[in-house]
Amino acid sequence: MNSSRDQIPPGTLDMLVLKTLAPRRELHGFEIAEAIERTSNDVLQVEEGSLYPALQRAMIKGWLVAEWGRTAENRRARYYRITPAGRKQLQSEIAAYHRVSAAIARILSPA
Amino acid sequence: MPSPLELVRRLRYLVLRDRYTAELEEEMRLHIQHREARFRERGLAPGAARYAARRQFGNPGDHQERSRDMWGLRWLEHAAADVRFAVRRLRHRPGFTVATIAVAALGIGATTAVFSAVDAALFRPLPFARPAELVTLTDVNIPFEQSTERFPEGRHSLDINDAVAMRDVFASTAAFAAGGLNLSDPTNPRRVRVGVVTSGFFATLGAAPQVGRVFTGDEGRPHGTHAVVLSNALWQQRFGGENVIGKPLDLSGTKYEIVGVMGPGFNFPNESDLWVPLTVPTTDEVFAPFRGYLPSWVIARVAPGVSVPVASARLLANWKRLAGPPTGKPGGVDEFIAEATTKGAAVPLKQQLVGDREKAFVILMGATALLLLIACSNVANLLLSDAASRRREVALRELLGATRGRIVRQLLAESVLLAFAGTAVGFLLSPAALGVLRAMMPGDLAGIAPAELNLRVLAFATVLALVTGLVFGIWPALGTSRNDPVETIKAGASGGATAGGLGGLWRALITAEVALTVMLLVGSGLMLRSLRSVLSQELGASADHVGTLEISYPDGVPKAQRLRTIHAILDRLSADPAIQAAGVVTDVPLRGGGNVAFRVEANGAPTSRSADGVPYARMLEASGTYFKTLGIPLLRGRTLMASDDSLAPRVAVINMAMAKRWWANADPLGQTFRFGGDTTLIHVVGVVGDVREISLENNALPQVYLPLDRRPPENLAVVARSALAPSALLARITNAVHAADPAQAVYNVRMLDDVIATAVAPRRTNTMLIAIFGGIALSLSAFGVYGVVSYGVSRRAREFGIRAALGATGRNIAALVGGEMAWIVALGVALGLGGAWALSRVLASQLFGVDSHDAVTFVATPILLLIPAAIATIIPARRAMRVSPTEVMRAE
Repeated sequence: MNSSRDQIPPGTLDMLVLKTLAPRRELHGFEIAEAIERTSNDVLQVEEGSLYPALQRAMIKGWLVAEWGRTAENRRARYYRITPAGRKQLQSEIAAYHRVSAAIARILSPA
Repeated sequence: MPSPLELVRRLRYLVLRDRYTAELEEEMRLHIQHREARFRERGLAPGAARYAARRQFGNPGDHQERSRDMWGLRWLEHAAADVRFAVRRLRHRPGFTVATIAVAALGIGATTAVFSAVDAALFRPLPFARPAELVTLTDVNIPFEQSTERFPEGRHSLDINDAVAMRDVFASTAAFAAGGLNLSDPTNPRRVRVGVVTSGFFATLGAAPQVGRVFTGDEGRPHGTHAVVLSNALWQQRFGGENVIGKPLDLSGTKYEIVGVMGPGFNFPNESDLWVPLTVPTTDEVFAPFRGYLPSWVIARVAPGVSVPVASARLLANWKRLAGPPTGKPGGVDEFIAEATTKGAAVPLKQQLVGDREKAFVILMGATALLLLIACSNVANLLLSDAASRRREVALRELLGATRGRIVRQLLAESVLLAFAGTAVGFLLSPAALGVLRAMMPGDLAGIAPAELNLRVLAFATVLALVTGLVFGIWPALGTSRNDPVETIKAGASGGATAGGLGGLWRALITAEVALTVMLLVGSGLMLRSLRSVLSQELGASADHVGTLEISYPDGVPKAQRLRTIHAILDRLSADPAIQAAGVVTDVPLRGGGNVAFRVEANGAPTSRSADGVPYARMLEASGTYFKTLGIPLLRGRTLMASDDSLAPRVAVINMAMAKRWWANADPLGQTFRFGGDTTLIHVVGVVGDVREISLENNALPQVYLPLDRRPPENLAVVARSALAPSALLARITNAVHAADPAQAVYNVRMLDDVIATAVAPRRTNTMLIAIFGGIALSLSAFGVYGVVSYGVSRRAREFGIRAALGATGRNIAALVGGEMAWIVALGVALGLGGAWALSRVLASQLFGVDSHDAVTFVATPILLLIPAAIATIIPARRAMRVSPTEVMRAE
């Protein structure tokens, strides 16, 4: 694998998943992984399997709901959809992310 | 903070775990296939594409596991597996499992039952408002209406009015006495327990009536109206809880008006069915229905901020002021004050009520605690040998990659399971044990409040059993897993017999168990020997084949009529050829009532209390035939006669103790004495043998028997001796009473033997309980010895095989096994005897006719223990003798 890709910061996977699903989309696991890669211009790299514990967690927390459906190739797949609680969670995670990254940027910027 | 919905989702997962796992797997499979397809679109070869896809995905097993962790239930799955495994293991060893559970349950059940009973009797606060404020006032009297006539020398103690006047010390003051009356009922005349109480009684205790009111001040004054307050129980029983206020109630021929009903559960004193007023000052009228005397208690509630010692000191100071300077007069107030100074003039009510029972209970509790300790050390022993036998298994699993934590959790599961099972059985056992205890416990051993299963005690015993189980189930195993597993396995079938300090721990446990058992056995031995010497005490009368019943004449039955019916009863009984003798007395021996004594002035001169005791004699009124009926020997002079009536000169029969006390060097016949402050001289006409009237443990006190015919008592016991069967005899006595008066209520219809059995019941119960505990402890210890020796034998089978191969005889090997145990038991016995020697002083107050360091007990007890211990050693030792060297070698 290309080592120039960056590992995603811990804890942000949740946010990325929610963000991906936010525009009222229903995607299955592989599509979510691809969407994250695509929108990040392949800069962020995930060990793709780790998406699944994150999805399970999001379901436990009630941020996502899932339903089994059929893919274009007529294969059974689980499609995830964001809930209102998930949207709220996304907002608060984005806000927190901005706060933290702004603070880090201030520290790193030359005085 | 997981939301409720989240919990539901988690639980759903737990139930549908297999489906969830399969779905996740399917999802991940799909993902990898999609990724593989993408790589192939980019031109990778099929093999390389699959490899790359998998690599990019990571280990599916890992992700699967981490997903499951997300559900947070992995520990639960592990715990379930551990429990299943533990159950399987325990099922494979039913002997070990049942033994451990049974011993733990026994310890918990017995301890909980006994401690609950003791708790009710000793530790539970009295069921009154702010019970710590309640005190009894020592030697404070209730004035008698004509007190100057009764005490010509003037008052020599405080009376209740003095205490009432001390308002800054006592917020309220009251008096009570307990007695019995006949509740008249055309169909079912019955005897009821009566509390005779001053009008302030209920307020002092803080008890309010549920219906109506309690006594008014007017009802508490002499010759007031007759009011009665019912207990809730009697109200329900007899009136079905209907409105009874203002209705009449006939008690021993006197009409009372029902003014109130108390709340449920209030029955103080003496489980009263109802309460009638005790007037201040009191009168003959109050006393008459109660056998002429009513030992009364004065109680008070100390004022807020006043401590009991302060109240006591204030009361004593008042007393001294009343008495003035010491008179030096024999039997005077100085003696009372001296006594009150040492005893305390105001004593907490609870202390007074608990009284003598406290010692007996403390000892019973000590015995139970010993039993619990023995049971715990037995459980520890069982677990210890089990854990030791698992060393090899534990080591193997560790080598196979199990983590320490995992192994410990598994052992924990087993111990917890055992401990819980033991506790559960103990839980089930303890109410039954308490039931047995309640049935065994005579009324005066029980507390004011009934014994209930005490949950705190149950919790305590449970925690102790759990801790024992956990400590001894896990600690040895932990010790094991610290060893190098390779070494343990290499050590072979003996499972690391040489490793660790387990051997030492074991020896310590068995030594402790034996020592505790010896202590308990010595205690039981001393108690049993005391019981035997009490039972062999001479009553002074022969109680077998004597039936008795008691009757009370209602108020207002004239003297002449009472006398007529007494004689009618006696005539009818003596005419019966099956009845050898019949008599009448105010109280049969050991009945536990009538314990009042009067001051004696022999030949008209007052006597001081001295080394010979107080200058008092007890009084009974009896028919002349009473002595013959009970087999009380007439030693000098004559017995009482019907002609000793109110017209004849005053005469009395006295007992030997009285003759020795006052006329040791003279002929008692013809001597005179004044009795109870009465001015008339009484002539001694006869001397009879001593009878232990109060208790078998105490020597007979000076005793005066006055003729019945002079002043026939309102309350009396009829006695008759016959070879008839008890039921037939008692029926004949009852018939004789009813022939004289069909409406007469009879009560306490029983054989005199039963009266005596009741009197020794507390001692018998206590002794039996301690003896039962001793027996249980003995079998537990023998069981413990057996377990350790037989485990040792199986553990060392290889060693014995080698020894046998090298020429050791079976005898040598048995000696090897037995020798070690002999030392352990010997040490345990020595320690136990030492402990018992030190502790038996505690027991001293409960002993009778036996020294607390009684040689017989101290020698016999070890023998009693050594026999089962020897048997428990020999059985497995014989197994060691039969170890075949070839078999052991082959087993390797």
